[in-house]
Amino acid sequence: MPVPVSAYLTVSAILFTIGTLGVIVRRNPLVMFMSIELMLNAVNLSFMAFAHFLNSVDGWMFIFLVLTVAAAEVVVGLAIIVSIFRSRHSINVDELNTLKG
Amino acid sequence: MLLHQIAFYVLAAVAIASALGVISFRSAVYSMLSLIVNLMSLAFFFLMLQAIFIGTIQVLIYAGAVMVLFLFVVTMLAPDTESVGGRNPLRWQWGAGIGLGIILAGGLILAVVNGSLARDAHAVGADGLARQVALHGNVEAFGLALFHGFSFPFEITSVLLVIAVLGAVVLGRRILGREE
Repeated sequence: MPVPVSAYLTVSAILFTIGTLGVIVRRNPLVMFMSIELMLNAVNLSFMAFAHFLNSVDGWMFIFLVLTVAAAEVVVGLAIIVSIFRSRHSINVDELNTLKG
Repeated sequence: MLLHQIAFYVLAAVAIASALGVISFRSAVYSMLSLIVNLMSLAFFFLMLQAIFIGTIQVLIYAGAVMVLFLFVVTMLAPDTESVGGRNPLRWQWGAGIGLGIILAGGLILAVVNGSLARDAHAVGADGLARQVALHGNVEAFGLALFHGFSFPFEITSVLLVIAVLGAVVLGRRILGREE
């Protein structure tokens, strides 16, 4: 194997950390959503690396399911953000301290 | 196999740089475009790992459909999101976040490099995926695994998608008689 599995996992760990950092420090919920996408994709990369190096198809299946869950999550999350923006005219997460519409 | 290594390091650099762009650009639209670059580089990673079908649906679904939905919402809310990143009263959060991030990344990388999971990663499943792909082709291997071994999670996925669509409709409708 030219590139070892630990190299892929390291890239995956770095991407996951950057996603976590984005969720922690950004206060724009859209950018926080993008950071969550980043984390999901980092995990997808390690699934793919393991699927290739363990010679098993299960990693592909998990990537497919993660893709579906991510799509559903984006749809519902963006709908929530849009409806918050409609009632508040602001989407700064520091000001969103109540769930009441 | 030097070409493979060069491609890996270039892709890793692009992926990490674009991921840093996602969290550091002030405008949400730039973050969005940076995220699309990141997803494309991950699709190329998938192609490098000989998963042609997954790489294709990564581009089609993620970098295509999901990101276009994102971009619609970002541009719809763009005038407000510009001001969100502007004045930042909690500047120290970045320092604390970067410190915690370095600790997390260090722990994860230590676990990957030191742990047994990376060392044992060649042993299991001697002729699983590679033989299936060689025998049936890439998409057929995916479809056989999905519709034979994983048909129940696949059906659950359809329920999940229906729930997501219903949730989006319920959250997105305007309530009559309650104009904002």
